[in-house]
Amino acid sequence: MTRNLKVTIVLVAVATVAVAVLLVVSKPDSAPPTEAGPRNELGEVLVRPDSHRLSTAPDGKVTLVEFLDFECEACGAAYPAVEQLRKEYAGRITYVVRYFPVPSHPNAELAARAAQAAAEQDSFEGMYMALFEGQAEWGHRESPQHEVFLRYARELGLDVERFRADLDSDAVAERVRREQADGMAAGVQGTPTFFLNGEQISPGSLGDLRSAVESALAR
Amino acid sequence: MSATVPDTVSERPGPVAPELSTFLRRATAYVLTLGGVVGALAAVALLIEKINSLADPDYVPVCSINPVLSCGSVMSTPQAEAFGFPNPIIGVVAFPVVATIGVLLLTGVRLPRWFWLGLQAGTLFGVGFVHWLFVQSVYEIGALCPYCLVVWAVMLPIFWYTTLYNLAAGHLPLPVSLRPVGRWLVRYHGAVLTSWYLVLFALVGQAFWWYWSSLLG
Repeated sequence: MTRNLKVTIVLVAVATVAVAVLLVVSKPDSAPPTEAGPRNELGEVLVRPDSHRLSTAPDGKVTLVEFLDFECEACGAAYPAVEQLRKEYAGRITYVVRYFPVPSHPNAELAARAAQAAAEQDSFEGMYMALFEGQAEWGHRESPQHEVFLRYARELGLDVERFRADLDSDAVAERVRREQADGMAAGVQGTPTFFLNGEQISPGSLGDLRSAVESALAR
Repeated sequence: MSATVPDTVSERPGPVAPELSTFLRRATAYVLTLGGVVGALAAVALLIEKINSLADPDYVPVCSINPVLSCGSVMSTPQAEAFGFPNPIIGVVAFPVVATIGVLLLTGVRLPRWFWLGLQAGTLFGVGFVHWLFVQSVYEIGALCPYCLVVWAVMLPIFWYTTLYNLAAGHLPLPVSLRPVGRWLVRYHGAVLTSWYLVLFALVGQAFWWYWSSLLG
């Protein structure tokens, strides 16, 4: 065996051990502990009393929950389908939006706070739509996009000074963190993640979403 | 009078490891052939995904697997069109050339120094561009695109073995003081390349640690 090969093998072995050790060491605090039988409590984790409902069905028979990140491409791609679904099933399904900002998206957490700050002035829906419709304008920018979000607030006719204060308030940040923790507890690993009546579904298209909703309504 | 010539010759820059240049020539031939083919396939796949997403704005590329491995979010950034057109076009044009040169070398043909220096310039651009994309992807965009990873992975050995052969064969002159460094790099070619991969791997691991660890949690 040449020395080159020996050194290479040692390097790979050391790196493998290092990764394994790091994974083991960091494991305890990586994810919040999931309680025994998370399925039973999933309903509560998925929809809190104060969760944002964009549509409400009086009969409460079908509830669709989406964990989303306003900066995530796939969420932006799902947005028109969800809007369509909301229109088609108005009054027949409850649609709940939960924040799940992914840390690698530089403005995702700020966008979630913007939505929450708008919610404080009863304009969650307007901000939710503005964020997705303007995603190309503010998404994937390294610098904080406060100015864009303030403009959205202005366009929605919000009290901008109050919005600005809420955007940076601890209470709003805490709310976003709580929703994210709920997502982790529910086993959300990426965005968007949909739950239909407590069951995670992976729709690939509007058609998939529609048929899942249809079968839940028919049940 | 002519007796002094050998001394001055040995003081001049020259091949760092002529005895290894035959081995490196073969290694480079295989690396260029395989790397060129794999790189070309990845670039074509990336270009097809780009065309699909242009044709249908709602198209979710097959390589968008999770929040970290997502070529959709990478492809839509300005960095994906660094020169004003989609980056994979560069790969679609350049990787087949690399593969062709690799096959040419496998035939045992001797190529002139200027040809090798041209290849050196091309691979230097490629490896530089790939590292710029790495930094952009990991630290600015915050997502990785699987096909891009393949391109990065092949670009490293393509550049590395081209450089080593050029050093060993004397196409790239090294001053006498740096010759030992050159010899060392040639001798530990595999270990250096592996370290290079491991450093990039570690940077990706560190940047996306929140995600990798959440998968186990």
